[in-house]
Amino acid sequence: MTTLSAQTLLTRELLARRRPGYSLEAPFYLSETILQTDMEHIFGKHWIFVAVEPQVPEAGDYITVDFGTNSILIVRDDDMNVQAFHNVCRHRGSRLCAEPKGIVGNIVCPYHQWTYDLTGKLIHAKHMGDDFDSSGLGLKPVHIRNMAGLLFICLAENPPEDFAQMAAEMTPYIAPHQLSQCKVAAQVDIIEDCNWKLTMENNRECYHCMSNHPELTISLYEYGFGYQPDEHNKADLQRFQDIMAANHERWEGMGLPSAEIDTLDDRITGFRTQRLPIDRSGQSQTMNAEVASKKLLADFVDPALGGLSFWTQPNSWHHFMSDHIVSFTVLPISATKTLVRTTWCVHKDAVEGVDYTKENLTAVWNATNDQDRRLVEESQIGISTGAYQPGPYSPFTEGLVEKFCNWYVNRLSTLTR
Amino acid sequence: MSTPFYAPDFAAPVSSPWNSDQDETLRCVHIRQETADVKTFVLAANGPRNFRYLPGQFITLELEIDGAKINRCYTLSSTPTRPDLVSITVKRVPGGTVSNWLHDNVRVGMELGAMGPSGEFSCFKAPGKSYLFLSGGSGVTPLMSMARALHDLGSDADVVFVHCARTPADVLFAEELTLMARNMPHFRIALVCEQHTPGSNYAGHLGRLDAARLAHIAPDFMQRDVYTCGPAPFMAAVRGLLTTAGFDMLHYREESFSFETLVADAAHAPDNQETPKENTEVNYKIDLQKMGKSFTCPSDQTVLQASVAAGLRLPSSCSGGACGTCKTKKISGTVEMKHAGGIRQREIDQGWFLPCCSKPTSDIVMDR
Repeated sequence: MTTLSAQTLLTRELLARRRPGYSLEAPFYLSETILQTDMEHIFGKHWIFVAVEPQVPEAGDYITVDFGTNSILIVRDDDMNVQAFHNVCRHRGSRLCAEPKGIVGNIVCPYHQWTYDLTGKLIHAKHMGDDFDSSGLGLKPVHIRNMAGLLFICLAENPPEDFAQMAAEMTPYIAPHQLSQCKVAAQVDIIEDCNWKLTMENNRECYHCMSNHPELTISLYEYGFGYQPDEHNKADLQRFQDIMAANHERWEGMGLPSAEIDTLDDRITGFRTQRLPIDRSGQSQTMNAEVASKKLLADFVDPALGGLSFWTQPNSWHHFMSDHIVSFTVLPISATKTLVRTTWCVHKDAVEGVDYTKENLTAVWNATNDQDRRLVEESQIGISTGAYQPGPYSPFTEGLVEKFCNWYVNRLSTLTR
Repeated sequence: MSTPFYAPDFAAPVSSPWNSDQDETLRCVHIRQETADVKTFVLAANGPRNFRYLPGQFITLELEIDGAKINRCYTLSSTPTRPDLVSITVKRVPGGTVSNWLHDNVRVGMELGAMGPSGEFSCFKAPGKSYLFLSGGSGVTPLMSMARALHDLGSDADVVFVHCARTPADVLFAEELTLMARNMPHFRIALVCEQHTPGSNYAGHLGRLDAARLAHIAPDFMQRDVYTCGPAPFMAAVRGLLTTAGFDMLHYREESFSFETLVADAAHAPDNQETPKENTEVNYKIDLQKMGKSFTCPSDQTVLQASVAAGLRLPSSCSGGACGTCKTKKISGTVEMKHAGGIRQREIDQGWFLPCCSKPTSDIVMDR
């Protein structure tokens, strides 16, 4: 008989009594013990979105991605493949690359100059004797997949196999935007004083949009994520459905898959996608709904391609438009601190100041992120008061929040069984 | 005041243009200490004269120093929109015969032989849609002349004016540039200093002007007409980064701010062509600029080997071009490098090299 840790027992008990359709109990948002469980099982055993390919455009370009206590080094090798390693020297454990991004020839530990080539092989270690066997001392690899320019890593030895299924279904949606032919125009990190699940849950509903996101709702129809019909909005809802149907037909005709796919809580690698109409001129998530970059992505001619949204469990969402792509990755720092990294990509030939300005490109999501930060931080404060108890989700507008929690609870239950 | 105040007769009709064939000397009427080692010499003609020249052009001073006749070209820092005077702005160069002589000997009232003006380096010769002025140190002079002229003419020219200096204390014309930026709607300044000056309130860029920094300062630099003036390595670096970026060099112009000593009867045109030195020796001189050290490197040794032999301790590890620990920027010179992946081509393009696997093919100045 195996002895279960107190951590596992607590988590099991909380998971077992989770009430469907209700928000999670407070310890899921407050407890460092549960965060450790999240890091071990959710962030340690699933495909985590960490970066976009244009962050490492050339051979030798690297980035480091830190989450929880992990530091991961992602580098483009000389064959132009993107590799991932634990950012830890095999000598005495020093972190290898301290900067968030940079360029390397080989990977060199700053401590004693142990040198690894970009396949992770140890190729130089001085003073280790003539019979030194470096063969077992390569960098520890991390699984990495490049899905049409989106980089996912998995820390598990045997990563979930259904990534291939997601890639097969999603690549036709994403590939036409040619993310690999983009450049990073802007990247903004914000720290939210909340548990990472509050950040994710907030992302999965637009119940809060009209009241809190004046900039986002210029271009975004609030109806795209579930809505309770009533006498006042009946006509608008119908109009939205008509616009979506007409646009889907038009976009599909242009070779841009648009129909919804939703595997959020019925797969290990859960995701959802749909190409959603954009309000007004229908072009982009900007302050006037027109394209932020005059140089459109790929071979696009029509700027009004709506926004292809793509949400992944457990930690990302993305919007692909005709002129730019905005990607969000959510990385836990502690139980009550979360990094949200937003990356805006435009065509690699777009010229700042000529085709686009950073300010216009980032205005909507910088404002929206800041508003969301306030919302989730207030949630965190309220949940930690002691008066909090799980509350009911709206069956109309919070179905995707329920799917996030359902996926999370199911995955943890399976993995801690 | 010990010297008479210089004032043209503003009530008189417009005076005739200065012509160096007739008026062979200029008289120093004012000296300004711009920074610790830079002075501006304000010069007037001997009689009522109008100075007509293109902003960016130079004059040639004919000086007699220690019995030898030396000619030296200086780009004018003044603007022809203020036609009664011209000025040159001169940095004292260690060991520089002419600059030291000017700094130490020229007094208000003194006459200096002068010829000119001449030169092709002027944005008024080929007006463009927008400009990028890149100045290194006292290479700011011709660009200052252009900026002052644009300013005085009420131009709304789109100019990004980049001035690179060693430290904030070496920045030239900072207040005047700020004033021009205030007065001109599309005139932007960016300062880039290699090092900070302790106690300075400098808030500009720190480091060197590289491709990333230039793209940050002027994201649309590829669309601009570029005018560069500064020390030869500065201009070489600018040419390198523009070429690497795929810049159309038809829109690139450069000028030296002070020129090689010219014999008295040589042409006035600046000669920027560096003729390759005839090397009969197999020993090259390696200078470590920041450390102020130098050593000799035989052409069959690596720079690292020679540095060790000379008793220097430069960072290094693998000695085979793999780890990149010794990576250093070359300020000038050429090497033959056989590395093992410790350096990227784009780093080599930016002037970096690995001393551990590089043999010199010329004298080298290293940024160490």
